[in-house]
Order: sequence, then structure tokens, then C-alpha cells
Amino acid sequence: MTAPVIALTDVGIRFRRNRRGRRNFKDLFAGRKRRSRPGEFWALRHVSFTVQRGEAIGVVGRNGQGKSTLLKLVTGVVLADEGTVHVVEGVAPLIEITGGFVDDLSVRDNVYLTAGLHGMTRKQIDSRFDDIIDFAEIADFIDTPYKHLSSGMKVRIAFAVISRLEEPILLVDEVLAVGDKAFREKCYQRIEELLAGGRTLFFVSHNERDLRRFCTRGLYLDKGDLVLDAPISEVLTRYNADYGIKPA
Amino acid sequence: MRSEPALSAPTIDRVSSYAEVRPEQRTPFARYRHSLWLLTQRDLRVRYSTSVLGYFWSILDPLVMAGIYWFVFTQVFERTVGNDPYIVFLLAALLPWMWFNGAIADCTRAFLREAKLIRSTRIPRTIWVNRLVLSKGIEFLASVPVLVIFAVIYGAPLTTGVFLFPLAILIQTVLTAGIGLLVAPLVVFFRDLERAIKLVLRFLFYASPIIYATSDLPAGLQFWAAFNPLSGLFSLYRAAFFPEQLDWFVVGISVLMSLLFLALGLFVFARTERAVLKEI
Repeated sequence: MTAPVIALTDVGIRFRRNRRGRRNFKDLFAGRKRRSRPGEFWALRHVSFTVQRGEAIGVVGRNGQGKSTLLKLVTGVVLADEGTVHVVEGVAPLIEITGGFVDDLSVRDNVYLTAGLHGMTRKQIDSRFDDIIDFAEIADFIDTPYKHLSSGMKVRIAFAVISRLEEPILLVDEVLAVGDKAFREKCYQRIEELLAGGRTLFFVSHNERDLRRFCTRGLYLDKGDLVLDAPISEVLTRYNADYGIKPA
Repeated sequence: MRSEPALSAPTIDRVSSYAEVRPEQRTPFARYRHSLWLLTQRDLRVRYSTSVLGYFWSILDPLVMAGIYWFVFTQVFERTVGNDPYIVFLLAALLPWMWFNGAIADCTRAFLREAKLIRSTRIPRTIWVNRLVLSKGIEFLASVPVLVIFAVIYGAPLTTGVFLFPLAILIQTVLTAGIGLLVAPLVVFFRDLERAIKLVLRFLFYASPIIYATSDLPAGLQFWAAFNPLSGLFSLYRAAFFPEQLDWFVVGISVLMSLLFLALGLFVFARTERAVLKEI
């Protein structure tokens, strides 16, 4: 067995319950090992697992049980308060994908900017630019300011860019809920192609059919704990049993 | 387990195989520089593409300011401070002040304005401060010709002190980045700081030797004024035209203070980083 590409060891992260909670300087600089304070809760705690290259993992759980937080930890856009997150390869995060786009710049500038921020060189982007535009089906709008695109187009171009990043790990967080049916199917095909190309996939969804389609392994999160780490069908059965949902 | 395509497979396929060149292979430093440059470029492009006057705004602002002070202090009041020609004396400190002031003012919104982008990419977080220092620095460099033009018009003699210019830019970069790294995360937790800092900056404008020189202060104050790192900094910039302004004691303190601010800024930034990421 080769070394894992993702390894989480006893990871915990806590958030404040009320945004307007009191903050003081002492609080801010206190060591991160300190016990949980009132008004704070652990969004995830004692989460440990490893992922091998090429695995496709579905993350299952009810709303607010830490699924998105887990993805953000793996991406590295939030940092754990406890434990270690070790990701050896690059990550293409399909989380808040439109975040990097600037309203006032044209689609072309935006593609170069976002892909560049995710680590692509100018030459790499040049060679994939037409592909990206084709995929998003917005060839007529290349020089339109981003803010004038429809919301569907915005998501399409964003997905096209991030899914072209050529990173070995792909994280998908329910972004595909938007967009019309035809485009969603196109995105799914794209994800399947990437999987076939040996990518590692992390997939958060409430859609059982999608989970079964892509994933082989499941992680079931409940109340901030990793309850079950097993093949996807087992995880879904358990999830449905716990929350009394009849299997579709 | 999915099988990986053979390495020799032709790559005309829409999806390239796993073994192909990947962006991660660049060194962290090269990535940092690349991202920093991209964001700086974006800043400048957005600013210049959405306004008609574009580049001239970065000149117009200090020019109008200098014009006002020149009028007030040479035409209205009898001026007893500074050197002649006063407009050159003024601009030599006002232009770097614009850089400092602009960068720190922008740093108060460094995280809040880019929250969406910070939540979706994992580039090193110090970039959000450093890119502001850089883009304001570039605007400063772009406005240096204004100083040159006025020096030529008023016949201010250029001295060898001009070679201290790069040193001054280096010190200012360190100082501005240090204070920026200190301010940016704290504003996320204490929103009031945004306004407080605007006030402090306005105070600092008059507390720093911009419309006057450190040597114009009462003797008792001169020693303490040296602890304002901007004092030594501006005297370095002014040395290009007014070598008598150069006081190495003040410059030395300024260098020390700048390094101190950088160390403090890096420390505060590192300690608050994970809290900032949760908050935005």
C-alpha cells in the first residue's frame, strides 16, 4: 500500500455559536490547545481517516453536521484547532467556486486570474483556454464583464475553470445544484472522466443516486463525529436507518 | 481501484492523465510570487479599467494635496519650516506618505473585501496584505515622475543622496507590511478599528515630518519624534534633494522600528490566522 494522499489525525475544529459574541485580546492569543469555552462548539472532533490515491469518497450527514467544514479543512481554507490535516497533493476545490471572479473584469481576464490563483501558469491556461470556454458554452461572452453574465453562466464558467485545474484531488460541495439539467449531466460526466483519469474525489451531496454513481467509500458525519467509514452502500443504509428515511 | 491510464497514452484526450505536469510542482516561493503578482495586477487593472483617467488618479491625488499645502504654507502663511523649493520638499515626503496611508487604509478591509476569494483558495494568507503594499507601492513609483518634474522646474539640485532612495523604499516596504499584517486581522474582530485607524492616520499625517522637517521641531521633541519610523524614512527620501535633512540617528531608529513592526505583525498574524479564517 502506498502512502495516503490525505491523512487526518484526530482533527477538531470549533466555532463560536453567536457571531456577535464577545472577543477580547486575551481570547485571540490564547493557545489553541485550550478547552472549549462557553458559546463555542466543536463542529468536528476526533476525526481520523486516510485516503489513498484514486479513491472516491462520499460524505454523508444531515445539515450542519460538519460536511462542508471537513471539505474546507482538506482544502486548507480553514485550519484545524486540534490534530493534523496532511494533504500531500494539490486540491481543486469546487467550493464557493465563483468566489475568485471579479465583477468588473471580462470573462477572459477572470479565467486567467482564477486559474492562476489556483496555481496554473500562463502557458497552461493558454493551452486549455478554448477547452474551458467550450465546456462552459459561453464563447460569445468572452469579453463581457463578468457581472453581466447570468447566474447560470457564472457557475458554468467557474466549474469549467476549476475542473480543468489538473489537480490530483477534487473536492465537490453541492455546487452542482445550480445550472440546468443538461449542464449538470455534463458536469457529472466530467467528474467521471476525471475519476477515470485517476483523480481522488471528495463528494458532498444529499442525493443518494449521485453518491452511488461516483463514490465507492462513504464517510458518515453526525454531531461532529465520524460515525462510520465504510463502503458507500453500507454508509447510506446506516444513514437512512438512523434518520428513518425509506430507501429510494 | 480504478486503473490509471498508461503514461504513454496520447494526451489528445480531453482529460489529461494523472502523470502530466501539475501546477503544484512549482516551488512554494514561486507560487507565492505568482499569486502576489496576479492579485496586484488585478487590483491595478480593475482600478484603471473602471475609470476614465486611470493612471492619472495616482498622480492627481498627491498633486492636489501638494497644491493645497503649497498654497497655504507659502502664499497664506509665512513659512518658517522646510527647505526651498518647498513644493519639492513637500512632495518628497507626501508621495511616500500616500503609499503608506493608502496601503494601511486598504489593509483595514483586506480580509473583509476579499472574503469570498479567501474562502475558496488556499494561497498563503499574508498575500492579502502584501498585495496591497505592492500595488500601492507600484502607484507610488508611478507618481515619482511628478517629483522629478517639479525638481526640474524649480531647479532643485540632485545630490548623491538619491542613491538612498532604494533603501528608503525597502524600509517603507518592511514598515508598511508590518503594520498591515498587524492591522488586517485585528479589524476582522474589532470592526471599530477600521474607523479608529482612519483617525490615527489623519493624526499621523501631522505628527510626521511631511509639511515640516524633524529639525523644525522644538529640541525637546526631536528625540521622541525619531521613534516615529516615518521620520527617518522621509528624511531618507528627502536626502535626494536636501542632504542636510539626513540624520543617521533618526534613520537608524526608523530601521529598528520597522523591523520591530514587521516582527510584531508576523507574530500577530500567525496567532490570529485560524480565528480570522473562521470569522470571515
